[in-house]
Amino acid sequence: MRRYAIRRSLTVVPVLLGVSVLVFSFIHFIPGDPALTMLGERATPEKVAEVRARLGLDRPIWQQYVLYMGKVLHGDLGVSIVRGDPVATDLLRRFPATVELAVSAIVVAIVFGIPIGVASAVWRNSLLDSLARLGALTGVSMPIFWLGLVLAWFFGVQLRVLPTGFRLGSGTALVQWTNFALLDAALQGDWPALVDALRHLILPALALATIPLAIIARMTRASMLEVLSREYVRTAEAKGLSRRAVILRHALRNALLPVLTVIGLQVGHLLAGAILTETIFSWPGIGLWVYESIESRDYAIVQGVTLFIAVIVVGVNLLTDVLYAAVDPRIKYE
Amino acid sequence: MRLATLALLIGLSLLVPAFQASAQTFVFGAQGEPVQLDPAVITDGISSRITRQVFDGLVRYKGATTEVEPALAEKWEVSSDGRVWTFQLRRNVKFHDGNPLDAAAVVWNFERWWKAAHPQHDNQVKAGQTFEYWEGQFGGFDDKSVVSAVAAVGSHTVRITLKEPQAPFLANLAMFVFDIASPKAVERWGTEFGKHPVGTGAYKFVEWKPNQEVVLEANADYWGVKPKIKRVVVRNIKDNSQRLGALKAGEIHGMEGLNPDDVSVVKSDANLQLLLRPTNTTGYIAFNYKVKEFQDKRVRQAFAHAINKRGIVEALYGGTGLVATQFQPPALWGYNRELKDYEYNPSQAQAMLRDAGLRQGLSDITWDDGKKEPLVFWYMSRSRPYFPNPKEIAEAMAADLAKVGIKTQLQTTEWAVYLDKRKNGQMPLYMLGWTGDNGDPDNFLCYFFCQPGASREGFYANKPVADVLLRAQKLTNQGERAKLYRQAEQLLHDDVGRLFIANNQPPLAFVKRAKGYVPHPTGSEYFNTVELQ
Repeated sequence: MRRYAIRRSLTVVPVLLGVSVLVFSFIHFIPGDPALTMLGERATPEKVAEVRARLGLDRPIWQQYVLYMGKVLHGDLGVSIVRGDPVATDLLRRFPATVELAVSAIVVAIVFGIPIGVASAVWRNSLLDSLARLGALTGVSMPIFWLGLVLAWFFGVQLRVLPTGFRLGSGTALVQWTNFALLDAALQGDWPALVDALRHLILPALALATIPLAIIARMTRASMLEVLSREYVRTAEAKGLSRRAVILRHALRNALLPVLTVIGLQVGHLLAGAILTETIFSWPGIGLWVYESIESRDYAIVQGVTLFIAVIVVGVNLLTDVLYAAVDPRIKYE
Repeated sequence: MRLATLALLIGLSLLVPAFQASAQTFVFGAQGEPVQLDPAVITDGISSRITRQVFDGLVRYKGATTEVEPALAEKWEVSSDGRVWTFQLRRNVKFHDGNPLDAAAVVWNFERWWKAAHPQHDNQVKAGQTFEYWEGQFGGFDDKSVVSAVAAVGSHTVRITLKEPQAPFLANLAMFVFDIASPKAVERWGTEFGKHPVGTGAYKFVEWKPNQEVVLEANADYWGVKPKIKRVVVRNIKDNSQRLGALKAGEIHGMEGLNPDDVSVVKSDANLQLLLRPTNTTGYIAFNYKVKEFQDKRVRQAFAHAINKRGIVEALYGGTGLVATQFQPPALWGYNRELKDYEYNPSQAQAMLRDAGLRQGLSDITWDDGKKEPLVFWYMSRSRPYFPNPKEIAEAMAADLAKVGIKTQLQTTEWAVYLDKRKNGQMPLYMLGWTGDNGDPDNFLCYFFCQPGASREGFYANKPVADVLLRAQKLTNQGERAKLYRQAEQLLHDDVGRLFIANNQPPLAFVKRAKGYVPHPTGSEYFNTVELQ
C-alpha cells in the first residue's frame, strides 16, 4: 500500500513537468505578439521593442522557460504584465471565492444527483425515470453561460427575488478575514451579510452544478442498476429485509464506489466551468480573473493559474487513487 | 421530513426581494476591473473613469465639448511666442490627505512625469509601468521633451516653458493622465499609490475590492460643484448582457458597454434611459499604395462611390452610428462642415473603373514588384469602438464592392497579427480606425498623415497634407489652426487617400431617476453632477 502510494506520487512529476512545458509553449506559440496586443493601435516599433524587452520576450524561449520554472519552484509565479502585482498573492486571495462556489456546486450536485439516480434506477423505465434521464441529458448538454444568463434573467430581472450576480450586495460591508464570504460572515456573527452571501451564491452554484449533477445522476443510475441485479441483493431481499433497507444499506453502498470516482473527476470540470460561471455572474474568483487575463494577454497570470489548476487536478486524482487503494487492497501499482 | 421542511423554509426566506441600492449610493456598472488608480501611468478608460472622480487637473474639458475650461488653475496666460504658459492656481484647495494644493505640489507632479531620474518616476519604471501619455503628448522625457522648465514663481503661480509652441498644449493638460496627485501620498505609497489614490477631486477613495468594486465617498470640501450623492460604487461586471440585467433589476444605476442589439431593449424599457457619448472615433478603409491599381485615383474614387455607408450605419450600428465624411468626428473643432462627400452611386463607380482601364472590374492586384495576387480585403477579428461588428461590416462592404465589379476575398487574423501586418504594410486593403485621446484635431490627423510614406499607413504619401498639419501644430490660435485642419481634410478627401466609413457614439444606459450624467467624447465623465431622484 505504501509502495503504491509512493510510486503513484512519483508519476505526478513528469505529468506536471509536461503540463508546464505545454502551458508555457501554448502561450508563446499562439500567433500574435503580446506586446502588440497590449499597445493596440498606438504601437510604434520602438514601443513594441521596449515592451518585449521588459517582458523578457526578446530572449530565447528555453531561457524564458528555465527562468520561469526556477521561480515557480520557489513559489514565485511572476508578476502580472498589466498590473505589476505578484501573481501568487493575487491567486491566493481570489481562490477562496472559487472554492466556495465549486464546493457549493458539488454539494448541490451530490444532494440532488444521487437521490435522482437512485430513484431512476429503482423505478426503472417509469415516467420518473424518463424525466430524470431527459433532465440529465439536457443538463449535460446545456452550455453554462446560456443557463447562467437565463437563470439571472428569470430570477434576477423578471422575478427580482435573487441578485443577478456578484458575491455581496453593494450595501454589504463585510471585513474579509479568510476571503470565504460565508465563513467570514459566520465567524463575525454578521447574519445579514451571511444571508446576503447565500443569496448571491444560489444562482451561480446552480449554474455550475448542472453538468456534475447530470453526470452524477446518470452514473448513480447505471451503477445502481448493475448492483440491483447482483445476487447478494436478491439474497437480502429473500431474507425478508425491507426494500428501503436493501436499496439504501446494501445496494447504494456498493453502487457509490464508482460514483465517488466520478465526483473526484468533476474537480477539473468544476474549475473549467468556473471560468464561464464566474464571468457570467461577476463572481470574483480565479475564473473571472483568468478570463480577463486571457483577453488582455496577461500571460503571467494565465500561466500561473493554469499551472495551479493542473496541480490541483493532478493532486485530487492522486488522492482519489491512493484512497481507492486503501479501500480496495486488490489495486496495486504495476 | 422535519429537516426537509426547515430547509425549504430557509430556502424560501432567501428569496425575499433584494434591497434596492439607496438614493445615497450611486452604483455604476463598468466593463472590467481598473488596472490601477494612479492617473499618471494608466491609459485605459475603466481606470480613468474612477481617477477622474478622485483627481483634478489644471484644466478640464467643458461640458460635453473638447474646449478647455479652468479647473485647479483659475486662469492662465501665454506669451506672444506661445512658449511660456503661466497658471494661477485656485486658493484654499486641499488634497484629501489634508495637504495644500500649491505651486510646489504642481511642480512636483510635472517633475515626476517628466524627469526619468525622479525617484517616483524611476520606481514606477522599474516596476514595469511607463508614463506613456507624457511621452506621447510632450515628446519624451528629460531633454527630449518639448517642456524645458517648470517653476513655481509664487505660492500659487506655476510657469511652464516650452522649447517651441505646442498647439494642443492645453488640450493635453486636460487629459486624465495629467491630473494632480498629492506628492506626500505618492511618496508615502510609492508604486502602491495606484491602490491608494489621493487627489483633490469631488470624491475620495475609500476601498478597492479586487475583481469586485471600487468604493468612493463624497468630498464635502470640494472646490467645484459639490457632489449630490454621498457614496459611489463602481462595480466590475464583465458580461454585457449581465450588466444590462443588473441595470434592469435595479442593482446598478448606470452602465456602459451595451451590445448594439440591446440599444432597442433600453429604449423600450420605461424605467431606463439611453445616453449617447458624442462620437470621438472613426472607422476607415485604407489602401496600400504599393498596389499598382490603388495608385490610380480613379480606382480609389470607384471604391468611394461603391460603398453604401448610410446603409451600413443604419443596419449595423444599432442606431448609434453616424456616416463619416472625413477623419475627424463632428465634435472636433477642426471638423470641415463644408466638405461634400462622394455620393453612393454604383454606376458612377463602374464608370470610374472603366476610365481607369479596368473594364472587367478588379479582382487581382499587382504589387510594386510585379507580383500578382487576388485582392484580399482584411478586417479585424475583434470588436472596436469604431467597428462594433467588423465581420458584418466587412461583408456588407464587400457585397457593395462586388456589385460594381470589385471582387475581394475577405480575410481576418488574430488582432496582434493584424496590427503587425498593418505596421509592416503587408495588407493590400484593410479596415482600421482611431479613437481620440484629447479632443485635439492634431491627435486625430498627425499620427497618420505627418509622416508621408510610412509603412504602417500603407505607404500613403501626401506631402501637402503633412505640411499643413505640421504648420498647424506650431500655432496656438485655435481659429487659425481650425482653418488648416479643414484644409487638410479637404485635401485628403480630394485625393481619396482613405475611405472614412463611420463614427460611432458609444451608448450608455441609466435608470430613469439618475439625472445629470454628461457623456463626454473622451470618456471624461464626472459623478458629482449625478443625482438619483
